[in-house]
Amino acid sequence: MSEREPRFTRRDLLKGGAAGAAGLYFAGAGGALAARLSPAAALEAEAVTLTWLTWFDHYFRQQLQVTKKQTGIGARTKLAPSDSQIYTTIRQTGSQFDIAAADALWVPKMHKDGLTDSFDLSSIPASKQLYPQARHIAIWKDGSNSMAFPNGWSTIQTYYNPKYVKTKPDSYDALLDPKYKKKIVYEDSPENFVGFAGLATGAKVPYDQTLAELKRSKAWLQKLKPNILKIVQQNFETVNALKDESAWIGLGNLGVELRVKDAGGPLIKVAYPKEGLLGWFDGEQMVHASKHKDVFAEFINSVEGQTAFAAKNFIKNGRPMFNEKAYKLLVNQGYKHRADLFNYNNPDLIFKAHLQGPSRNPQATTQTFTEVFGG
Amino acid sequence: MATQEGGGSRAVSLLGRFGGLVPAALYFGLFFFVPFGLIVCFSFWQDFDYKVVHHWTLDNYRYFFSVPDYVGTMWATLWVALAATAITLGLAFPFAYWLSRYVPRGLQKLLLVLVVVPFWTSYLLRVYSWLNILGDKGVINSSLTWLGVIDQPLSLLYHRWTVVVVLVYLYFPFGALTLYSSIDRFDWDQLHAAMDLGASPIRAIRKILIPQIRPGIAAAVIFVFIPILGEYLAPQIVGGTDGVMMGNLIDEFQKEALYARAASISLLIAAFIVLLLVLFRKSLSAREAYGA
Repeated sequence: MSEREPRFTRRDLLKGGAAGAAGLYFAGAGGALAARLSPAAALEAEAVTLTWLTWFDHYFRQQLQVTKKQTGIGARTKLAPSDSQIYTTIRQTGSQFDIAAADALWVPKMHKDGLTDSFDLSSIPASKQLYPQARHIAIWKDGSNSMAFPNGWSTIQTYYNPKYVKTKPDSYDALLDPKYKKKIVYEDSPENFVGFAGLATGAKVPYDQTLAELKRSKAWLQKLKPNILKIVQQNFETVNALKDESAWIGLGNLGVELRVKDAGGPLIKVAYPKEGLLGWFDGEQMVHASKHKDVFAEFINSVEGQTAFAAKNFIKNGRPMFNEKAYKLLVNQGYKHRADLFNYNNPDLIFKAHLQGPSRNPQATTQTFTEVFGG
Repeated sequence: MATQEGGGSRAVSLLGRFGGLVPAALYFGLFFFVPFGLIVCFSFWQDFDYKVVHHWTLDNYRYFFSVPDYVGTMWATLWVALAATAITLGLAFPFAYWLSRYVPRGLQKLLLVLVVVPFWTSYLLRVYSWLNILGDKGVINSSLTWLGVIDQPLSLLYHRWTVVVVLVYLYFPFGALTLYSSIDRFDWDQLHAAMDLGASPIRAIRKILIPQIRPGIAAAVIFVFIPILGEYLAPQIVGGTDGVMMGNLIDEFQKEALYARAASISLLIAAFIVLLLVLFRKSLSAREAYGA
């Protein structure tokens, strides 16, 4: 008999299929019955699982497991690539998501467009762990409510290797110097690239430029392009490029110089361009169409209240959190120098930066970037 | 009653003939043709304030062709895909020929396993590993520096050709396996006969072997060329700002929620694929290849 000949007749297959279907039915019915009889199983069956659209650095898997144990509320996370995609995803998917992260000025836009609901921040005990500045973010206020639970923040500054960069690049225009050809790296963020260009060319609001301002920004980006070695996907690639000295200059969140040093790289210094800094702070929002709004506060309280994980998050991801209690824990753990170098204990800084937010010309903003770097 | 029986047997006969098609038709109808139809619609709609407005327009295509850099990226994508496919098949053909003709059966299996070994690691890892090979402090530069051949590291990363090199590495198994499965069925006596009749080895391969494995060559081209057209990760990681391909443009527009713009570029890639399939439609016919 050839191997290709069927081992089962059609009748056998039909019989097997029917038996399998019956088995599945009875297994399901049996499970439901067991749930009715056993309170623990019933609790398990009724447990809520929230769907959370967020960034990878907003949680640890173990943190979610602790929350599940504490509250019975599970979480399914979906990673988001950008604020604009979070915005469109929440608008298109309705009740599919329960919680959504967003940056600074995106939060009021999502709230204004009816995608999220505000809530009483002070009713969440974990909010007591936050710095006072984070508990009273004016742009996130909706009456006495808050539009989001604050998470972390950073300004974006210039890092340079003094071995090759002899003059401190304290202006964005310094990045255009031809001697830095293919020696600059930054993350793949069209809005930030255009934002830097806006600051360099005098745009009033770098994240919300007029068409005339965008035109000037495009011309500036065209001059910058030859100096860009690579547009990286993750911050660690900036660290690697500075570490192996393939890049001499990098733009990035707070603490890049320390991460390069940790990785065994050369001395990296930081420069703050005189035109100003871009920056972001982010938080978690309650999705308006969520069917589980009743457990939002309990879930957030459990996740954000795990101080040890907030401290670990800072160590791992290298940008300050808004959790003041975690700062104290870091100090106790011997990380004061590191935390202070990252300005962890100085959250006022972020409110002086040009904050990330939506543009009135989103298409033109993205195209300003792609027309320069897309070819 | 007789009519009912006749109708019943016709239904059974139809089920027998087309029953196998139904699951695949449903699956692909739902998860390929419907989304594809949506992409076609999106490409003729407009992005406005983070929304896709259902206003029919050719603006996305007009815009694409109005930006010289995008058009340049389109040609560059085609060039990269063609070059990478040609090099991949150029490497894969002699390998498959050697494997099939000269290697004992038992060893062939082992070597075929080695061809697919790279698939045991993740795609991303395979691409990132090239940073350690071609980087300023990578294996090549370190070795050349150690040997005293160079003082300064060679710039091996972040060029268009770097992308081609990495794509050849990534798609070699597809080309090699497809060609091997085709060459392996070839009757080598025909080649011997041709040479007995005075043909040189090269002429015998060109006139006897290649025409008979043409469907395999066409399949290998399709398996390598088509996925490369839509590549975006490898160019992103090893290509830098010089290695941008159309896939990167789609990614960028999609990430910034400009779905209509992204859809139009996706359809341009689809158009190239259709064109390729049309060009290869004859070669894909086994009957044509064997001259029947």
